[in-house]
Amino acid sequence: MRLLSSALVTLLALTKLSFASSSSGDSVLVVLDPSLDRENYSIFFGGLEKRGYSLTFRAPKDASPAITDYGVPNYDHVILFAPETKSYAQDITPQSLVGLLSENTNLLIALSPKQTPLTSLATEFSLILPPPDTPLISHHPARSEPQTTIPVPVSSSSPILTPGIPPVWFTGAPHALGSTPMLVPILRAPAESFAADSTSDADSDALVSASEKGGEGLWAGSQMGLVTGFQTNVNSRVVFAGGVKMFSDEYARKELPSGEAPGNALFVKDVAAWVFQEKMKLRIDAVDHHRVGESSAPEMYTTNDEIVYTAHISAYDSRTSTWKPYSGIDDLQLEFTMLDPHIRTSLPVVAGSPGTYQVQFRAPDRHGVFKFVLNWKRKGYSYLESSTTVPVVPPRHDQYPRFLSAAWPYYAGAISTSVGFFLFSALWLAGDVKGERKKGSKAE
Amino acid sequence: MAGPKSSSKSSPTSSEISVAVSTLWKSYIDQTPDRLKFIDAFLAFIVLSGVLQFAYCVLVTNFPFNAFLAGFASSVGQFVLTASLRAQVNPENKSEFKEVSPERAFADFALGSIVLHFFVFNFLG
Amino acid sequence: MPAAYPLPSDLSPATVTNTASLLRIIALALISGAAIASRLFAVINFESIIHEFDPWFNYRATKVLASQGFYEFWNWFDPTAWYPLGRVVGGTIYPGLMATSGVIYNLLHALNLPVDIRNICVLLAPGFSALTAWATYMFTKELKDESAGLLAAAFIGIVPGYISRSVAGSYDNEAIAIFLLMFTFYAWIKALKQGSAFWGTVAAVFYFYMVAAWGGYAFITNMIPLHALVLLLMGRFTGRLYVAYSSWYAIGTLSSMQVPFVGFQPIRTSEHMAALGVFGLLQIVAFAQLVRAHVSSKQFQELLFTAVISLGLIGFFGIVGLTYKGWIAPWTGRFYSLWDTGYAKKYIPIIASVSEHQPTAWPSFFMDLHFLIFLFPAGVVMCFRTLRDEHVFVIIYAVVASYFAGVMVRLMLTLTPVVCVSAAVALSSLMDTYLDPTEPNAEDDTSDSSSTHPTGTTPTTTPATPATNKKAKKNKEKEKEKESTGGVLGELVSNVASSAVAAKSAPTAEKGVFGIDTRLIVLLNSLGLLLFFVVHCTWATSNAYSSPSVVLSSTGSDGSKNLIDDFREAYHWLRQNTAEDAVVMSWWDYGYQIAGMADRPTLVDNNTWNNTHIATVGKAMASPEDIAYPILRKHDVSYVLIIFGGLIGYSGDDINKFLWMVRIAQGVWPDEIQEPNYFNRGEYRVDSEAAPAMRDSLMYKMSYYRFAELFGGQQPVDRVRGQHVPIQGPTLDYLEEAYTSENWIVRIYEVKKDDVLGRDLKIANAFNQGKKRKRTKPVSRRKAISA
Repeated sequence: MRLLSSALVTLLALTKLSFASSSSGDSVLVVLDPSLDRENYSIFFGGLEKRGYSLTFRAPKDASPAITDYGVPNYDHVILFAPETKSYAQDITPQSLVGLLSENTNLLIALSPKQTPLTSLATEFSLILPPPDTPLISHHPARSEPQTTIPVPVSSSSPILTPGIPPVWFTGAPHALGSTPMLVPILRAPAESFAADSTSDADSDALVSASEKGGEGLWAGSQMGLVTGFQTNVNSRVVFAGGVKMFSDEYARKELPSGEAPGNALFVKDVAAWVFQEKMKLRIDAVDHHRVGESSAPEMYTTNDEIVYTAHISAYDSRTSTWKPYSGIDDLQLEFTMLDPHIRTSLPVVAGSPGTYQVQFRAPDRHGVFKFVLNWKRKGYSYLESSTTVPVVPPRHDQYPRFLSAAWPYYAGAISTSVGFFLFSALWLAGDVKGERKKGSKAE
Repeated sequence: MAGPKSSSKSSPTSSEISVAVSTLWKSYIDQTPDRLKFIDAFLAFIVLSGVLQFAYCVLVTNFPFNAFLAGFASSVGQFVLTASLRAQVNPENKSEFKEVSPERAFADFALGSIVLHFFVFNFLG
Repeated sequence: MPAAYPLPSDLSPATVTNTASLLRIIALALISGAAIASRLFAVINFESIIHEFDPWFNYRATKVLASQGFYEFWNWFDPTAWYPLGRVVGGTIYPGLMATSGVIYNLLHALNLPVDIRNICVLLAPGFSALTAWATYMFTKELKDESAGLLAAAFIGIVPGYISRSVAGSYDNEAIAIFLLMFTFYAWIKALKQGSAFWGTVAAVFYFYMVAAWGGYAFITNMIPLHALVLLLMGRFTGRLYVAYSSWYAIGTLSSMQVPFVGFQPIRTSEHMAALGVFGLLQIVAFAQLVRAHVSSKQFQELLFTAVISLGLIGFFGIVGLTYKGWIAPWTGRFYSLWDTGYAKKYIPIIASVSEHQPTAWPSFFMDLHFLIFLFPAGVVMCFRTLRDEHVFVIIYAVVASYFAGVMVRLMLTLTPVVCVSAAVALSSLMDTYLDPTEPNAEDDTSDSSSTHPTGTTPTTTPATPATNKKAKKNKEKEKEKESTGGVLGELVSNVASSAVAAKSAPTAEKGVFGIDTRLIVLLNSLGLLLFFVVHCTWATSNAYSSPSVVLSSTGSDGSKNLIDDFREAYHWLRQNTAEDAVVMSWWDYGYQIAGMADRPTLVDNNTWNNTHIATVGKAMASPEDIAYPILRKHDVSYVLIIFGGLIGYSGDDINKFLWMVRIAQGVWPDEIQEPNYFNRGEYRVDSEAAPAMRDSLMYKMSYYRFAELFGGQQPVDRVRGQHVPIQGPTLDYLEEAYTSENWIVRIYEVKKDDVLGRDLKIANAFNQGKKRKRTKPVSRRKAISA
């Protein structure tokens, strides 16, 4: 049922492809705290609507519209801009939000230095938040804004972001990143920033002493994340932003200390594009495998067969809202495994046919139930996983070579014995008759 | 049949051996009916064939092991079946084989051989 | 010779012979009927269903054979067994059983009798038991006479020791193998008696069939050479022995190599070397005989004998040498365990874990053979009295089989036929003596007795007196009405016995029986024994051996019968509710059943060929969840199935088998799994005192998960172990309960997929239950800063 409905949703999404840029649908629920002015986020929300999303707004404590009905998500994407809200309506709990992710709904979540239910949610994504009320503070560069309003330079190494985004204004809490490989760091804190438990600068001594103890309890430096994405095992995406203000019109328009325009508008657009599955969205269209010289997949392979394996991969193009063959992967690998990989080979793209990756290899001399395994997981990109089970069987009894030349003496021996037997029998019977005659004549 | 076997005996002195062998040979020539000699000729042929196959196996290759087994077993099997026939039709053994007349013996022999060769050819390939 | 009771005298010998043979045929038919009928208890009490474990595989294989033909079956690779290793079925089974049913199936369909393959499989064993009775009759007839033969046939027809393996639905190799065993032996005896290559060939062909049907063929492979060797050592070498043995061995060995599973073993393994050695020895001896026929020098003969002995020694050392060189495989573990009963437990726990491989408990001898076990030694002694070649065979058979039956419960089956045969010999000798109407008369001389003989035949020339026959037959008819075994009681007074009595009438006259009262006492006694035997057999068959063990039955307090059908219920659930390629892990006992009834891939099954794979399952069951989980995922396990009898007291459950899983796993991973850890101060417990390793093990958790909820706050009781398990039951993080059958015998757990957020499932579970996580700190800050 669930599958069916999700398929339906996908179908619906496909029909709306003409005006939606997301690969997974265009309905967005925005849970906006009443304390935040919607008008202050018009650039962000307006940009989304311009790209074809239909936004539905609701306050955290409203009961409707519900996020899910009977366990089926009602929206394709959810934006949670309620960083300081302590209590939500029944249907929004950390558990239900994780549930949404497993149902392929994407989340954009804004955090804050306050302790809220979302804090414990972030923990599940192996984001480690500093103690409550310790916002990010930086004294550099010199500026007129408070120390908690920080221009953060954007690293251009992340493929999520458009290269060359100017620094963005940020206010909020940083977070340390856990060890999960599913995290996708998008924006890191400036090296000279730190988290302190006061908006005044009074406790900076404590920070210094903490740093002297070897960094114990220190929330500082560029290892902190400010905006971090996370891609789940089912390829749904979630982004945690340390503060909600960076999405605001106010910050988008605020000039940087250097006098340039900030990169906020472009940055949040890129972040939204990633989290709403517009970019870096790949999928395996089809895999097929067959013996060399054949065209369809056999029911089972024989050991030492030459096998051709082909994968067709396409990427989502948000401009045309279509899937197009994608040849950009150069480190794709194929494994042929039974418990352990027996064969691991690179799966190169076929020149001249876009999106087709093909390799030919020889099945191991081992029978059993093997799997073709494709497992390509790169930060930011959709995970490509495929597993096809095929039995590899020993040759049939008549597939072994027969009548080898080395065995000719044996064949000759066996045949000569048989021939000898027949000759002997014939002679014996003839002799028998003769013998009887002789005997008979003697008797006579 | 008598030829290869004499080598398997060991005796204290060489003269005794030669005496024994010649006695044996003479007695064999004299006392054995022609029909038995005919069987013995066939037996000698089979032994030869078996020995050749075995030598080939040991000296050259035993690779299609089933083929070797089939070939060799056909020799061995045919040998013992023929030897059985020989024992059964030997007039000296009449007392032992009361229920087996020479004709019956040959029928047995033929049946056994056919079954044997069936398995041999099944196993050969 | 005065008669103890009058005999009709107006019957011509021809009538007597004809009636006798007619009655023999009727008796045999009735015995067959009884043999088949008594095996149908299982079908009547339960239904026409395949029993136990191995038969389910045989049944499945037969279905493949019937539906896809022999060549497909020959090449059948089963990817669902031993996942992911797969099993080359065609090369790892004895196809005789399936081929037999396949032939019957095709034959019936060719006759336009559309019989379901299942019914053929279910009824194959009873059908073959009738043939076994016939083969035993033939065998015993060679040994003594027809009356003993009929007795033996009746015994083997209903003796529980054989019924236990051949009730309807027990579709196992043994079902046809015992018939083949008996018939091969019969053909061998016949070949030996006649010196006929024809019977030797027949023996070889049936030997081939036996090789194709059952692993126990090694018993024949060693019995016949042993017999030949003993005859040789007794100085009983004859041309007949040579002919019989040579033709059997040459054809039998070659044909046995046609079975793929056996392959080159007959010339490569030690089990088969005895046969080869005896074959070589016979050739040498035969040649020596031939030479001796031509040369009559005594000294020369001695020389020959030394040559024979030295050649024998050379051959023996040659075999030993080849074994050392690795050309001939040494004895397998199963074989060693026959000699040293402790061997298996020490080195191959997987063999020892099978209950049929345990040493036999002495009551089971009585249970399986009843009074035959008392007659058995008497019969063997009788064999010593007329020590012909075939009697030597029976004596050797008796000795060897008794030993083996004492070592392994399973081998009781090979003992049963010889017990029936010798018991029949003993009993029929007794009958002969006491039914023989002639009375010894010390005063009367030989001529006197012959003249008093009603028919007036001279005992010295005509051994079988028609009158005796007639009387005996009358008895027989009467008794047949009473009971099926009784039908053979008064069968013909045998040639041998009567010639023993009559031919030597003068000496035996002093040893005969006087009067009708003594006769009656003895005969009624033995009749009573036979009656009890029949009662016992019927009881044992209906109560002990007819349970399919797929369906259990219990008797309520009011005597009503309840069927417990949890197994099929659960397997059917698997079939209906899980993906077709969902791998099910269970202990290997249930592998064949899952494959047969649920049609799902299994990790391990009853074909225990890969110890490591089984140990892997054992390790997963014996480890805590977090260690077991990666194992389960690596093997793509979707469901775990366990058997739990704690609720209704089904003692064959997995907790009771658990120690074997631990032991087998310990054999492969001695560092990770240790048996003593599962004991609390030397006691195996499941209650609150259970050892920590026990309580953490997957098996324990799965067994008692939510068990306490059934008792509504009371202290839950495990009815198998009789212990109180803790009210606070175990929790599961990596598995979730998918299905539990009505009586909780089968519990199925689903293995959870990876967490969507890549978390450890234990943490994910805690999160889902709303537990607060401990606040974590950024890890290894120091390194992060320096890096």
